[in-house]
Amino acid sequence: MATLKGELLKNFTREKVVAHNKVSVIGTGSVGMACAISIVLKGLSDELALVDINEDRLKGEALDLQHGSLFVKMPNIVFSKDYRVTANSNIVIITGGARQEKGETRLSLVHRNVSILKLMISNIVQYSPSCKLIVVSNPVDILTYVVWKLSDFPKSRVIGSGCNLDTARFRYLIGQRLGIHSESCHGWILGEHGDSSVAVWSGVNIAGVTLKNLGTDKDWEQWENIHKEVIASAYEIIKRKGYTSWAIGLSVADLTESILKNLRRVHPVSTIVKDLYGIKEEVFLSIPCVLGENGITDVINMKLTPEEVAHLKKSAETLWAFQKELKL
Amino acid sequence: MSTVKEQLITNLIAEDKISQRKITVVGTGAVGMACAISVLLKDLADELALVDVEENRLKGETMDLQHGSLFFNTSKIVSGQDYKITANSKLVIVTAGARQQKGESRLALVQRNVNIMKTIIPAIVHNSPDCKLLIVSNPVDILTYVVWKISGLPATRVIGSGCNLDSARFRYLVGEKLGVHPTSCHGWIIGEHGDSSVPLWSGVNVAGVALKTLNPNLGSDSDKEQWNNVHRQVVESAYEIIKLKGYTSWAIGLSVADLSGSILKNLRRVHPVSTMVKGLYGVKEEIFLSVPCVLGRNGISDIVKVNLNPEEEALFKKSAKTLWDVQKDLTF
Repeated sequence: MATLKGELLKNFTREKVVAHNKVSVIGTGSVGMACAISIVLKGLSDELALVDINEDRLKGEALDLQHGSLFVKMPNIVFSKDYRVTANSNIVIITGGARQEKGETRLSLVHRNVSILKLMISNIVQYSPSCKLIVVSNPVDILTYVVWKLSDFPKSRVIGSGCNLDTARFRYLIGQRLGIHSESCHGWILGEHGDSSVAVWSGVNIAGVTLKNLGTDKDWEQWENIHKEVIASAYEIIKRKGYTSWAIGLSVADLTESILKNLRRVHPVSTIVKDLYGIKEEVFLSIPCVLGENGITDVINMKLTPEEVAHLKKSAETLWAFQKELKL
Repeated sequence: MSTVKEQLITNLIAEDKISQRKITVVGTGAVGMACAISVLLKDLADELALVDVEENRLKGETMDLQHGSLFFNTSKIVSGQDYKITANSKLVIVTAGARQQKGESRLALVQRNVNIMKTIIPAIVHNSPDCKLLIVSNPVDILTYVVWKISGLPATRVIGSGCNLDSARFRYLVGEKLGVHPTSCHGWIIGEHGDSSVPLWSGVNVAGVALKTLNPNLGSDSDKEQWNNVHRQVVESAYEIIKLKGYTSWAIGLSVADLSGSILKNLRRVHPVSTMVKGLYGVKEEIFLSVPCVLGRNGISDIVKVNLNPEEEALFKKSAKTLWDVQKDLTF
């Protein structure tokens, strides 16, 4: 008997649909869902896969997004705790993992997250062998190294969200002081995402005009405090609302856009820095990277002061001290 | 000694601090924040104000949004517990209130939320006497009535989010059944947002082809394809999602941003939202129910007169009676 659909529609083709800009988000906690809603509202992908071990929450979140289909160009949403749904992803965003507790440093999360990642990565790689991986889970620089080792992907395709957010916060705070939109305030925070990040003061500029004397003893306005505020940001927000989500979600969508649209914009993201700036260890730190459809295609050679280089090397040593104890 | 700012910038005129498209969100729980992020990413406001009774959460959420400033175009995000912060809003979105618990019906929330409205609405209106109020808190139809009464604003400026979400869910589900995008599947759910909403089956169409002409039993119990399950699923949606993830947020946030867009940009699109329907379809009481309304910069400027068949009109009046039974016992 004819169905209503059969009477309404005359079918032309049953060709299988192939998603070209599929993004998978692993972990449907606050960070994962903030990434998802940002990607959805920016209309970046044609298929969004969600994976989580908590099946109820996963289904609830997926349904809730789907019910908003009328209001955005909603991608096809698939979800499962089985990684099969992530097959053929262009980008896989890893947010799954233990959450930073009140007062806990990022480094103390390491061991908890390594065991979670072992299972996760083998699954992801099996179903999307040519994807780009964006690692968000903390401590992001160490975990990006872990993911790189476990996935055996080329370094171009394993990207840590790194200092993309720190830099966004930095530019926001500079903009607030100057009464200018953060988009017009340029500045870079590099190195470790977190307590020992490096603010490259010499590069801070508006319209190409560098802000003199910043970060030195001559700075009576104490612009140095802006960098301190950036570092304290996550702890500050976690103390008040329990976790951070919106800013990291927006910053990940920003990276996703550069990759999916092959924009070749420069972002401070975490990549392997061995043999750069005199660093000898196999560690991941944030430096300005060109992001396109193949992931990190180039890095920018920064002109850093001796102090800034020393700082990066010290970060590298600290990270390596942890990393070499990991059993991968 | 001159500041870096003074050295860098030559000021020409004083900044005009009055925003032209300010939106306030009252309540920074999951729904309020979903409204906020949707409004931000759709570029609807030049200023966003957030208010909540929980000071820490309010500050934390505000900071988190501010830190994403590089990625959107709303340059001013402010928050505070004093409603002064909401002054000069074009639109105030009210999500504050007790949350629907697992298994709790919307109507059981009523008195809890009435008391909350009594504390917040006068302050909102005092600070933005020309604003439009968009009520999201549940039970939305009753609370829109309550807010209308407390605010003293004309009914055209007090809008309940109502069946905008129900209709969106309906169209999503119809779209799934037909393999067609929801925006190309048309259908309206009116009346009460919730258990006794009324699906208008005769209007359901794709490209102007009414599904009822293809299946005369559409929506009835004798329909072999049981399309009425689509409506049933819409009614159960919220309960199902609450059971799975604890609350709903994304869809309602997106639907509120959709309404906000129509209002702030004076689009005059038609949306099924909750408005005062006394005098329509034989309703005699001061009830708020969803009907298709034209939304623009002054709020609801017109109502589309839908022809209801006797069955639909009976259901609509039943919704009205259900709500009035609860409303008449409320103390303000």
